[in-house]
Amino acid sequence: MPTRALTTRHAQDLELFADRWAKAGLVLLVLLCLGFPFMAGNKWLVVGLQAQIAIVGSVSLMILTGFAGQISMGHAAFIGIGAYTTAMLGEHHHFPFWLALPLAGLAAAAVGMMIGPFALRLRGLYLALITVGLVFIVKHMLYHQVAWTGGAKGMKVPAYLWFGGDAPKLSDYAKEPLDLGVVSLDSQQLMFFVFLLLAVAVVLCGVHIARSNTGRAMMAVRDHDLAASVLGIHPARTKVLAFGISSFFAGVCGGMLALQLSYLMPDGFGLPMSVNYIAMIVLGGIGTIFGGVWGAIMFVVLHPVAEQLQPYVPYFSERTDTLFSTVLFAVVVCIFLIFEPLGLFGFWLRIKRYFLAWPFRYG
Amino acid sequence: MSLLAINDLHLSFGGVRALNGISLSVEEGQIVGLIGPNGAGKTSLFNCICGVYIPDTGAIRFDDKNMVGLKPYRVAEAGIARMFQNLALFDYLTTMENLLLGRHHLYRTSWWSDMMGAGRYRDEEIRHRKVVEEIIEFLNLERYRKHPVGMLPYGVLKRIELGRALCMEPKLLLLDEPAAGLNQEETEDMARYILDIKEELGITQLLIEHDLSMVLDLADAIQVLDFGQGIASGDPDAIRANPRVLEAYAGKQAAP
Ligand SMILES: Nc1ncnc2c1ncn2[C@@H]1O[C@H](COP(=O)(O)OP(=O)(O)OP(=O)(O)O)[C@@H](O)[C@H]1O
Ligand SMILES: [Mg+2]
Repeated sequence: MPTRALTTRHAQDLELFADRWAKAGLVLLVLLCLGFPFMAGNKWLVVGLQAQIAIVGSVSLMILTGFAGQISMGHAAFIGIGAYTTAMLGEHHHFPFWLALPLAGLAAAAVGMMIGPFALRLRGLYLALITVGLVFIVKHMLYHQVAWTGGAKGMKVPAYLWFGGDAPKLSDYAKEPLDLGVVSLDSQQLMFFVFLLLAVAVVLCGVHIARSNTGRAMMAVRDHDLAASVLGIHPARTKVLAFGISSFFAGVCGGMLALQLSYLMPDGFGLPMSVNYIAMIVLGGIGTIFGGVWGAIMFVVLHPVAEQLQPYVPYFSERTDTLFSTVLFAVVVCIFLIFEPLGLFGFWLRIKRYFLAWPFRYG
Repeated sequence: MSLLAINDLHLSFGGVRALNGISLSVEEGQIVGLIGPNGAGKTSLFNCICGVYIPDTGAIRFDDKNMVGLKPYRVAEAGIARMFQNLALFDYLTTMENLLLGRHHLYRTSWWSDMMGAGRYRDEEIRHRKVVEEIIEFLNLERYRKHPVGMLPYGVLKRIELGRALCMEPKLLLLDEPAAGLNQEETEDMARYILDIKEELGITQLLIEHDLSMVLDLADAIQVLDFGQGIASGDPDAIRANPRVLEAYAGKQAAP
């Protein structure tokens, strides 16, 4: 029976992987992540890439909405800014993708910090309305700045490995995999490992924020901003910081999406995308990074699962569109909202408690 | 010179005059009781001191610095901590996290080192946790360290809120009815803590309390408020003997 060790020092409380079980889980997870691109077929490799992108996006929204309590419908705008910044830096200026990604984050963060001050005056749904406006503005620009974005026709996203137009690209490895002796990696597999690094980095940043003074201040502002300010917390600065960090990561998420799609059109960056990200954090469980990660994975994996199920479901079996996966996802989210408002995180807590108390039925 | 000096404070909400020319001074190291019937303006006075309300006219000086017009977080940084009349804890956070939030303004790490989980962040976090641990011990909160506070009983929450204010290492502590809603035993504990805070920690306190016997026992000086005005002040014995105080209270206390 896995019992939790008694903590006797403060440093122990700060460990990310405190006990044997957590460490064992970590090893398993690492092996799974490293092995995945070799075991998965092309279709599931793409699902893996999408999951990594979604994880970065939903963790970034979790910081803003889950920690700081700022309801934002503008996530698609930040992701769009990041995606197009990456595309334009690559296509027009031949920037390598590893430099374009952080710059995409900065571009989105700059816009996010401009929205921040609105959050000081507006609360809850009023703020959500302003951020809806941001989505329309960004989409409008994407459609009409044709010289930069290609407008409705879209634009290519080259992933240069180095500066200059004749530098090699990530996609070159599609034909000729990178030979590392033991294994060889094609462009998709390479992208998987690049994204893995990014996703792990963003998740770690999120976890650190949650456990630090900065994250606690965000949660204090979320739960009781008057009490927070009487305690010496600067609510305005905290909210703007949350917007800045969140939109930076959202921009990086957009950059990753651009690289994965390799061709961008403005259509994808509308309100449905924002709603999807909100659904992910609700499904995962508002207020924890765990929820952000698993909500994203669940969301992405539900699509191919729905595809497999569709032929066996009456009415939907005759349709060819993706309505079924949307409906399935909506049903899953509703079930969670009714039975487990803490989302997947709450579900996880129950399982953990069950096994910690085993063989007793309480704990 | 007094630690806190309030002079001729006026505050009104539309037609309601919450504060009507109150003056008050608190000497360092003292417990000053603030009493008065419901609606007398006691909480409003606290809100003015904390920067939650801005008084229409009047002066508030703390540590010989002007406090009027400062934002609440600046007042907190100046060294004033407060316990709310209606609890204002963060329900989803644990006792430990609530108490650590009291130390927010004492953290010297930036958001960047927090986010990176840098060594500096760990050292700083451990340093503050050690201080919080002392307060946990002082208030006997060991059992609740890792409980989310939303699920804890009322009496414990009052203690956690007192602890959170103490974690701020304030020079002045504003207590708004710390014993309201507590049973006899918990009230006695609270009185003990207030005396210990004065004697062991040397923190000056301004105490609002409806339990007259408690205030008269604890306070070094008392200010009586009614209709936003000071109607009497002095040491506990003088207040006990003052007929105006009885009058202000008798009228209200006869009602249920
Ligand atoms: N935000 C506000 N808006 C309007 N009126 C207010 C506000 N805050 C306080 N008041 C009014 O100011 C007066 C003083 O209220 P206050 O809360 O300071 O009284 P109190 O002495 O703390 O009373 P109690 O013992 O019931 O806590 C009351 O008449 C109250 O209705
Ligand atoms: Mg009051």
